[in-house]
Amino acid sequence: MSGIVVNDLNKTYKGNLEPTLKGLSFQFREGSIAGLLGPNGAGKTTTISILCGIVRADSGEVTIFGKHQDAANRETIKQLIGIVPQQIALYPQLSAFENLTYFGNLYGFKGKALTEKIMHYLEIFGLAQNAHKEIYKYSGGMKRRANIIAAILHEPRLLILDEPTAGVDVQSRSMILQFLRDYNQQGASILYTSHLLEEAQSICNEIAIMDAGQLIVQGNPNDLILQHSQCNNLEEVFLYYTGEALRD
Amino acid sequence: MLRLLATIRKEWQLLLRDKTGIILLFVMPVVLITVMALIQDAPFKDYQDIKFDLLTVDNDHGKLGAFVKEGLAKSGQFNIIDSIDGKPLTEDEARKLVNVGKYKISIIVPKGSTAEIVSNANRIVNDITKRMGIPGSLPVKLRPDSLHVTIYFDPAAKKAFKSAIHQAVDNFLTQVETDMLIDRIQRQLNSKDSSHVASDTLSIRLQAVGLKEQSTGTGKQLDVISNSVQHNVPAWSIFAMFFIVIPIAGNMIREREDGSLLRMKLIPGSYLNILAGKMLFFVGICVVQFYLMMLVGIYLMPLLDLPKLVMGFHQGATLVVAIGIGLAATSYGILIGTIFKTPNQALNFGAISIVILSAIGGIWIPLEVMPEKMQVIGHLSPLSWGLDAINDIYLRNGDIGFVWMKVVRLVLVSIAMLTIAGYIEKRRMA
Repeated sequence: MSGIVVNDLNKTYKGNLEPTLKGLSFQFREGSIAGLLGPNGAGKTTTISILCGIVRADSGEVTIFGKHQDAANRETIKQLIGIVPQQIALYPQLSAFENLTYFGNLYGFKGKALTEKIMHYLEIFGLAQNAHKEIYKYSGGMKRRANIIAAILHEPRLLILDEPTAGVDVQSRSMILQFLRDYNQQGASILYTSHLLEEAQSICNEIAIMDAGQLIVQGNPNDLILQHSQCNNLEEVFLYYTGEALRD
Repeated sequence: MLRLLATIRKEWQLLLRDKTGIILLFVMPVVLITVMALIQDAPFKDYQDIKFDLLTVDNDHGKLGAFVKEGLAKSGQFNIIDSIDGKPLTEDEARKLVNVGKYKISIIVPKGSTAEIVSNANRIVNDITKRMGIPGSLPVKLRPDSLHVTIYFDPAAKKAFKSAIHQAVDNFLTQVETDMLIDRIQRQLNSKDSSHVASDTLSIRLQAVGLKEQSTGTGKQLDVISNSVQHNVPAWSIFAMFFIVIPIAGNMIREREDGSLLRMKLIPGSYLNILAGKMLFFVGICVVQFYLMMLVGIYLMPLLDLPKLVMGFHQGATLVVAIGIGLAATSYGILIGTIFKTPNQALNFGAISIVILSAIGGIWIPLEVMPEKMQVIGHLSPLSWGLDAINDIYLRNGDIGFVWMKVVRLVLVSIAMLTIAGYIEKRRMA
């Protein structure tokens, strides 16, 4: 069963002459760890924003777990998705516990059940000891881990992560990637963007490489490497398709 | 409801951790209204209870000079000075002292002015008695002089001040001339009529219609005049309430920049609940700010030798107006936070726009003293609606029925600002 189906998406932002998305199409299976890869300006963020329903496409279709992303299904799809933005989308002056309580309340959780849920995830992510410390006092890795917890409090079926390991140390990265594997094992689908292609190669079982608003290639990362005898890893496949010219 | 309450609690937690924000919202306004009330105390007292030293040079030594000095001294606004270091003042000395700004005003009564008034009164009486067929005439000067009581003002004196003094002295001159005329008529009639007209009949008639100041309000009357505290405390409180734009706009832009706005919008349920929680919290802060400033006016100002703030009799109406002002200020903050992309842009535009809106809205100086065109523009500022409504309650004994139109205007402008903010945010998503 298809988890995410994107069909012929087009999007031109007001004031822009060039379209950001030009007939983009791809699909990821439910239960996969999918990587949406591309150089800067490829249209990844716009694609994710359309998937989440916060930006409207000019034309084309998005289906998530069989539901069309439209006004009628928007609220249902919101419940199915958890998003981890690239920025630390938490209030720095509040502690991790206070932040998570707030976002938990917004999801409708409250009381003892919410506290137990928060403490459970803080424990998993190694933050229980610092639960009541303000976020601004956290290290980069701790902030990233807390940022992920805020997106999974409602246990979404699809977790979308935008460069979740940018700027974190090796230990935190390893911990985050292991959590994603475990979460995926529990049945959740994961859509992940990153410029760290070695990491994508190790964690993703499906990838889509896009550039200039279009899909370039899609498949299993190891299969793609094998298809290109001159390429030894995903990074070389990526450069093969997107070129070595610098992007703005 | 949970989303709304959670947002209020989150904003409360954020405020408690933000010491600078607390100072900006509560301490700075207290300092601001205290300083403004103190420095504007003197200008407000100009025409009320400040006493000015007034130099008088009486070259006449007659009734007019004495009457002018006595009248000005009785008004309570002036200390009459007619000699310096034991020497009588000359006109030249008085003019120089006023010119250098040592004294604000000097009055010179010219030589022969009483004689000139007497002669003029005699001329009128002679004319009347002649027409009545009564023989006899009082002495008059054959060639009347053109004499003037001269006033010198400090070149830096305000126009309104000069005009008030001018009018007062003019009244004294008219009074003296009238008194002398009546005196002459009485004397002439008495000397010709054996039935003896009562000597005070005419003067009684002239005082038959007096002037009495009466309060315009009905019911419980307030004895409040617009003094420095009565203007500055509500005015600068409203100004401070509008400064809530800075934390609100900064907060919204940070939420947009760091992705928490995106996170909130991706949570099932309407974002309006979250926005309503945010608005309720900040409107509440505005109302607390307002009453804190009022307490300063009531309890702190008298300790600084300033008048005590009088809040009128309609506390319910005051609360409604305070909520209306808080709503307008919060909505403006949301609009600024939606329009601008960086906290710096929002801070600069927000602060400068509030200063402009307050200046034209009568916060710095009352609208009534502004040019007519500025008054028309000033009445477009929501800050002026708020201040007018507060003045209606405090000074005019107004109740909610008196101020409801201004509150409705504040609510409507808030709805308009929120609608524009919503439209901009929607366009951003498109």
